[in-house]
Amino acid sequence: MAEYREPSYAEVNRDILRTLLETGPRYWILLGFTSTIAVVCFFVPWMYQLNVGVGASGMNRNAVWGTYLSNFIFWIGLSHSGTLLSAVLHITQSSWRKAIYRSAEAMTLFSLMTAGCFVMVHLGRVWFVHWSVPIPNEMGLWPNFRSPLLFDVMAIATYLTASSIFIYMGSVPDYAAVRDASTGMRRRLYTIFSFGWRGTEREWHTLGWAYTFFAVFVIPLAVSVHSIVSWDFAMSLVPGMHHTIFAPYFVCGAIFSGTAGIVTLMYLLRRFMKLERYIGEIHLDNLGKLLLVLSLIWSYINILELFTGWYSGSSFEYEALKFKLFGYYAPLYWEMILFCAFVPLLMFWKKIRLNWNIMLVIAILINIGMFTERFIIIATSLPRKFLPDAFGFYFPSMVEISITVGSFAIFTTLFLIFIKWTPCVSIYEVKETLQPLRRRAV
Amino acid sequence: MGKLRDKLRQYMKPGYYEKYDYHWTMTIDLDRCTGCEACVVACQAENNLPIVGEKHFSQGREIKWLRIERYWEGTYPDVKLSFIPMLCQQCDQAPCETPCPVSATYHNQDGLNTQIYNRCIGTRTCAVYCPYEVRYFNWFTYEWDEPLEQQLNPDVTVREKGVMEKCTFCIQRIRQAKDKAKDENRRRLRDGDITPACVQSCPTEAMLFGDSNDPDSRVSKMAKNSRAYKVLEKLNTLPSIVYLKKVT
Amino acid sequence: MEKNMMALFHYEDDFIAAATKLKESGFDRMCCMSPIAIHEVQKVAGLGKSPVRRFSLIGAILGGLSGFALATICALVFILPTGGRAIIAVPPFLVIAYEMTILFGVLATLLGFHIVSGLPAWHDKPYRVETNIDRFSLVLGFGPDDDPSLAEEIMRAAGAEEITELEKPE
Repeated sequence: MAEYREPSYAEVNRDILRTLLETGPRYWILLGFTSTIAVVCFFVPWMYQLNVGVGASGMNRNAVWGTYLSNFIFWIGLSHSGTLLSAVLHITQSSWRKAIYRSAEAMTLFSLMTAGCFVMVHLGRVWFVHWSVPIPNEMGLWPNFRSPLLFDVMAIATYLTASSIFIYMGSVPDYAAVRDASTGMRRRLYTIFSFGWRGTEREWHTLGWAYTFFAVFVIPLAVSVHSIVSWDFAMSLVPGMHHTIFAPYFVCGAIFSGTAGIVTLMYLLRRFMKLERYIGEIHLDNLGKLLLVLSLIWSYINILELFTGWYSGSSFEYEALKFKLFGYYAPLYWEMILFCAFVPLLMFWKKIRLNWNIMLVIAILINIGMFTERFIIIATSLPRKFLPDAFGFYFPSMVEISITVGSFAIFTTLFLIFIKWTPCVSIYEVKETLQPLRRRAV
Repeated sequence: MGKLRDKLRQYMKPGYYEKYDYHWTMTIDLDRCTGCEACVVACQAENNLPIVGEKHFSQGREIKWLRIERYWEGTYPDVKLSFIPMLCQQCDQAPCETPCPVSATYHNQDGLNTQIYNRCIGTRTCAVYCPYEVRYFNWFTYEWDEPLEQQLNPDVTVREKGVMEKCTFCIQRIRQAKDKAKDENRRRLRDGDITPACVQSCPTEAMLFGDSNDPDSRVSKMAKNSRAYKVLEKLNTLPSIVYLKKVT
Repeated sequence: MEKNMMALFHYEDDFIAAATKLKESGFDRMCCMSPIAIHEVQKVAGLGKSPVRRFSLIGAILGGLSGFALATICALVFILPTGGRAIIAVPPFLVIAYEMTILFGVLATLLGFHIVSGLPAWHDKPYRVETNIDRFSLVLGFGPDDDPSLAEEIMRAAGAEEITELEKPE
């Protein structure tokens, strides 16, 4: 590997802006491909379902919730790491966050948008979805704020707003950089986006304070959002779901899968946008350590679930656990344990943590495991509630599988659009990690 | 000021109601139930239940507000079969009411867990939260083949796709009985004024329906029977259906 | 015609030294532009705790109160008892209040940022593109008693790369 020489400020601007300003044919082909898949695999089956009814999915009397909701939880989970990590690391003033946080926050924003799509797909009468929002209406009816789903509505709306503002505000100086480096229509657009930013001491001062306050607000928000999402499940009486551990379980699982998502993203950005100088081993090492810690916490919580299920002595809990561990979906359950509890243990070794290719594989396996976990929570708990005569079975239909695939395409499309709109690595923050430009060396 | 305090106390009281107007209760004597499913058919006829068809039935998408659950022990020829009619228990602390984001299901002043079809947006959370699995979702807009649509009850709405439904204790009959009582200048309904379709059709009179606020009604007396129990009582849902244990 | 003066610096410490000296010599109307945030210059310019924090606090408090009020009023307008719970159920409404606290706090901070920083700034102001890449610039405005040549001398002594005189914009 070539010796690492710190880039100069000008090189930072040039390298990062190049990812935005120069676009090759590979990008357009990829964008076309993902948007086609998004339309064909997500919107077309959804239109069919709107026409025919939610029965186009595989759900039935028992499993009234299926992959639509498990995907929703998965995408919300994926969204957790970006903004939360960025905010926490900002408060602790860590320097390794600087290069990766912009893309991580973007991942958050677009995961939230994709999750929002799933709410729409899931509803039986989606044309009335606005009834769940407290807006004045001709009926004088208001939503039921005692419902966990309403906590969800408020939490996700807040999270979406806060994440968008967080990423936008952090990008204002970079929009100024794009404005300065571009001409014509793009220059006009970015003049508006950057609010006429000049970099005066007053502007930097205010931005620094505002950004810190955003971070302070976002940290408790992110923790609460996934707790609230978990309470959709935990506030039911269903034996497999009615556990108080669900809130920490989901938050931990969310940060876990989100961080694995960041690792995947960093690999791709580094490889395809030629950002090797900016996204380096220190990032991979630290993300790997974080993944390891989260995996250990996650394993602990899973062991707790098994233990408390067994210790409870409740026949309902036994039945739910039995179906989870040894029933039809047992292979999925054990695959989840393998990918999320055992595979990450490899990261104890520094050599593994510093190897990009192995870490990519581990990160993808973790996300597969976490995706399966969401599915298992729904598919193995709902068919085993209380009355044995009412036990059932759930298998997703082709429409659901297609929509799942389409959602990944939607996320990728949104992210591809993002990297050409905002510099995917924060220019000014990277400059802050470099040696300061001083006549006398510090 | 005192009025405000009283109002506040009422709003902070769990369950809101001090006492129900009528506390509609049903008792089902499992000794008398033969499992003939006449009640199931009667419910289907009275409440315009859609005819789902064999294919969807096998996929687990049946809509049967009242179903007969069957449990058997042993192997042939020593099989012991027990069955229990399972319908919406109209729980006083219904787990299904709280999670509805649009209040499409709520507890009315008669102690009934009502479902408002036009308000339902189909989140299906209520069905997840119900421990008795008595809530049914319209996965498609079902249609009746000719001439079955002529049999539909004009007093009951027909539901479209995306709407949740469940047993209502034949609320249309309750409403009609109340209107009749008002016309006759009676202020209270008498025991036996209302029979839901299932109760009416049961050949062995295993099911009884009435007001448990009235100490003289048949259901109040039957509920004091030593065989009386409620299904999944320890979940503390306070169901309004009292089952009498089968001993024969 | 009143003129402004803009100086371009290559090094950060020169920039900070010039700003400090100018402030000591009494030049108040100073604008310091840099590609990254430099805390020494902010201190020189007299920027301590930002007023943005007041916006955040007021926003958060308002949010908490409105969240609880929103949930309570929605529950009381049309009373629909559910699940044996109270009409004004405190634990769920506290969750709503919590989310609204954060929402209003974030929005108020955004508002505060715009008000305090003066952005968006649509009028043409002195600016050099290099400032956003790797140079630092000082723009001085002169009052009737200020001596431009003294300022120029201070900045050259500190190591300015280039000093230009600008027309004062309207």
